[in-house]
Amino acid sequence: MPTLTGRPLAASAILLTALVVSGCSASAPSTAAEDTPSPAAGSAYPLTIDNCGTSVTFDEAPEDVLAIKSTSIEMMLALGLEDHLIGTAFSDGPLAAAWAGRGAEIPVISDKVPGQEATLELEPDLVYAGWESNVTADGAGDREVLASLGVNTFVSPSACQEPDYQPTPLTFDDVFAEIEQVGAIFDASDAAADLVTDLQGRLEAVTPDDRGLTALWFSSGSDTPFVGAGIGAPQMMMDAAGLTNIAEDVDETWSSLSWEAIVDANPDVIVLVDSAWSSAEKKIGMLETNPATAQLPAVVSGRYLIVPFPAGEAGVRNVEAVESLLAQLEAIDLP
Amino acid sequence: MTSRSPLSGAPLRTDGVSFSRGGRMLIDGIDCTVEAGSLTALVGPNGAGKSTLLHLIAAAEAPTAGAIELGGTDARSMRRRARARYTALVEQQADTDLDLSVLDVVLLGRTPHLSVLGGPDQADAEIARAALGRAGAEAFSERRFQELSGGERQRVLLARALAQKPTLLLMDEPTNHLDIHAQLHTLGLMRKLADDGIAILAALHDLPLAARYADQVIVVDHGRVVASGAPAEILTPELIQLVYGVRADVLAHPVDGSPLIAFSPLETDPTNRVVRRSGGDDVIVAASGPRGRR
Amino acid sequence: MTALTSDQPAIAPDTDRRGRSGARTGAWTVALIVALALSIVVSVTLGPAQISASEVWGSILSHLGIGESSLTTLRDGIIWQLRMPRVLAAAAVGAGLAICGAIMQAVLRNPLADPYLLGLSSGASFGAVLVIVLGFSIALPLAAFGGALGALALTLVMAGAIGRMTASRTILAGVAVSAALGALTSLVIFWSATGDTYREILGWLLGSLAGVTWPMAILALVAIVVVGGPLMLSAGALDAFAFGDRAAASLGVSVERTRWILLGATALLTGCLVAVSGSIGFIGLVVPHAVRLIVGARHRVLLPLSALTGAVVLIWADTLARTIFDPRELPVGVVTALIGAPLFGLLLLRSRRIS
Repeated sequence: MPTLTGRPLAASAILLTALVVSGCSASAPSTAAEDTPSPAAGSAYPLTIDNCGTSVTFDEAPEDVLAIKSTSIEMMLALGLEDHLIGTAFSDGPLAAAWAGRGAEIPVISDKVPGQEATLELEPDLVYAGWESNVTADGAGDREVLASLGVNTFVSPSACQEPDYQPTPLTFDDVFAEIEQVGAIFDASDAAADLVTDLQGRLEAVTPDDRGLTALWFSSGSDTPFVGAGIGAPQMMMDAAGLTNIAEDVDETWSSLSWEAIVDANPDVIVLVDSAWSSAEKKIGMLETNPATAQLPAVVSGRYLIVPFPAGEAGVRNVEAVESLLAQLEAIDLP
Repeated sequence: MTSRSPLSGAPLRTDGVSFSRGGRMLIDGIDCTVEAGSLTALVGPNGAGKSTLLHLIAAAEAPTAGAIELGGTDARSMRRRARARYTALVEQQADTDLDLSVLDVVLLGRTPHLSVLGGPDQADAEIARAALGRAGAEAFSERRFQELSGGERQRVLLARALAQKPTLLLMDEPTNHLDIHAQLHTLGLMRKLADDGIAILAALHDLPLAARYADQVIVVDHGRVVASGAPAEILTPELIQLVYGVRADVLAHPVDGSPLIAFSPLETDPTNRVVRRSGGDDVIVAASGPRGRR
Repeated sequence: MTALTSDQPAIAPDTDRRGRSGARTGAWTVALIVALALSIVVSVTLGPAQISASEVWGSILSHLGIGESSLTTLRDGIIWQLRMPRVLAAAAVGAGLAICGAIMQAVLRNPLADPYLLGLSSGASFGAVLVIVLGFSIALPLAAFGGALGALALTLVMAGAIGRMTASRTILAGVAVSAALGALTSLVIFWSATGDTYREILGWLLGSLAGVTWPMAILALVAIVVVGGPLMLSAGALDAFAFGDRAAASLGVSVERTRWILLGATALLTGCLVAVSGSIGFIGLVVPHAVRLIVGARHRVLLPLSALTGAVVLIWADTLARTIFDPRELPVGVVTALIGAPLFGLLLLRSRRIS
């Protein structure tokens, strides 16, 4: 895709071509990186990045951002970029207390992923998506089509699905790198650096639990549970908290697991992800009524650790989640 | 083996039977009687209602008016299985998707005799085999039904009907698609069955064959009986002209004197429109009685 | 399982060929009964948790009152609460689906008929998806059952609304109802499904025995005995349908009444099964054809043997589903589809039917 310099003029000229080509082209890293002149001294722009295999170029800090999913929304708020937000969508739960106030005024465009027209109607210059599937034709729009219309898209790098881009495994360094990258995009590198320093500090300050406890990260599902597996955010947080994930050998971010395997592993504690559609209470009810899991010591003793859904995916709340896990672990009475 | 019906009365009597479907009257007040041990031919042009009448008697459809009596009993008051033990139907064409053996097909005829819980047993198998023999189908009794030719299948279907041990046997165009040898074989078979005591009502399209073999002929047209009686008496040139719209001479067969029908080619140019019927008025030619000629 | 067996050969051996066939049927019956027993015994010892066979059987016997289990409560729970009901449910569901499939194929005179044909599957799916999305997963079996029967009622009303209710008209009405309910189901999914409910819905739609508890297993077993048992008695009537409605009527079968009863009972049984396991495909379609190929089309033999075969097949399909990607689990419907589809193709090639 050609570099979008002099955007308004170029956009209309390219539009026609793009509409013809958009159907068949796969997103491939472009050669734009070589074409882009290096930033002038003192200016971060134009900034070109390779985001999940799509090349995205920013000529300036995006001013009209549509953030989809809590991880994106909260990233923006944590960096103090609420003024750049024109709307949010597909929030996974209430905002963290730290920036709930700042986010309160921002219009909520949709409970779910908005469609292409609704997205374009907002005239955003950036769609910041928490999942790769948010920016497909079924969602807010295909990345290339949006780009051809002058709308940049940015997918949280930890959510990239392609093997070359998916972090295996996800580490806090990846999370911090994303914060820094978002900071660069918005010319808010100072805020980003501050946030990273703060989070890093907090992370180093915690002492992982040293009792060698095993844990199940129970995200959702009833007949077949959907759990945090070996290479994603749950694993990252459990490692930091000193918990051993019973599904750590499964080479996925999240995975469906059989109850039998879970009962056989007999986790010491169970992390419950709390969301509106699958609350922690519902999960507890499920665990207690299933005759096999009802016998698990963790269930009998109620050794549950609760994590709100937005904190369960890679983003600015992971460190807070680790702290919360450790605080909850202290209350658990186990040798 | 004949199964003499314990019921009194003629095996079949219809009284003003009518049937309409979709607003069309297919059968309009048919009265007829078939006696035990007689071979009655049901003849008439295509679409006259022959098949429909057979279906009504076989309980595949219910008449919209009139009564059917089987052995003196109103068919409506008979239980279905009892009725199926009394009457059997050999259809013009039988299609099945299943891969059945010939014996399987014939054993289906035992359905009305089986108890709900049991299956066919040794006795049923023997009856089926006997039926195959009577129908002249022994030769292919070990084969699969789907492998048989049309004529062979016909015989198997006849065997199935015979396995029902009917008192009244209904046959729908049994000589369709058969070569002359097979046709005569089939009719000879029917003759023999009738001689053994089964009452047979067969729809036949072949008038000369009907004239030669049947004890009684019932002529239907437009769903009504036009004439009924012994072939020699009712199969007159006038009747043939009336019903079929063709000219024919009826002679006496040199061997046994039965009616020999000789058709004449159509006089009119075949490309002209031919009006075949004379208005559809009821014309009843006096019947000389139901007793057939042996 | 005694209700499902037919020890007597359908025809007493008379000629050599007949004798061979009757004995062959008997042999197959015995073989399948043994296979079913073995399947239950063996598959219960397989699973992600490493438990030895003797420990497994020790545990089961202890629950039946014989001896003591050497396992911890937890591992005992794995066997008795997770595996055992699941295997038994697989047997019941597999048997039931096979019987229903065979009956549908006979009553509707269509070799492509399966238990879900008359809107049953789409009705059940609609009911299930509705409760999943509304968050009442606990009412799922009831909703699936109600949905199935509701859809059937709709189909039969449509089929009978214009003129006579023939087999082909009934099938077409079923197709229409399925399409409509399928569309509604998709609408519900796209409109309201959030986050991970997609997974749950997909698992259900594909058919899964995960999470089967004892009550559900017992429901399936009771259904197959109470409804499936009498259905087997309809074998004679089903055979009579071989040549169509007219021939069946002339053989003394009351066609409309029999069809209604059979369809109703089949729908009832299928509704129960779908409530337990979702709509598992291919068992009802393929098993009757496979059995027919080996022992012929007589329903007195076909129904019981199909039931046994269906049970064995589903037990092993489910065992595969829960062990092949240990510790992950596949919905069993995926396995039956992957195996069933090519198998069906193979059967078509080998079929002796002329058409």
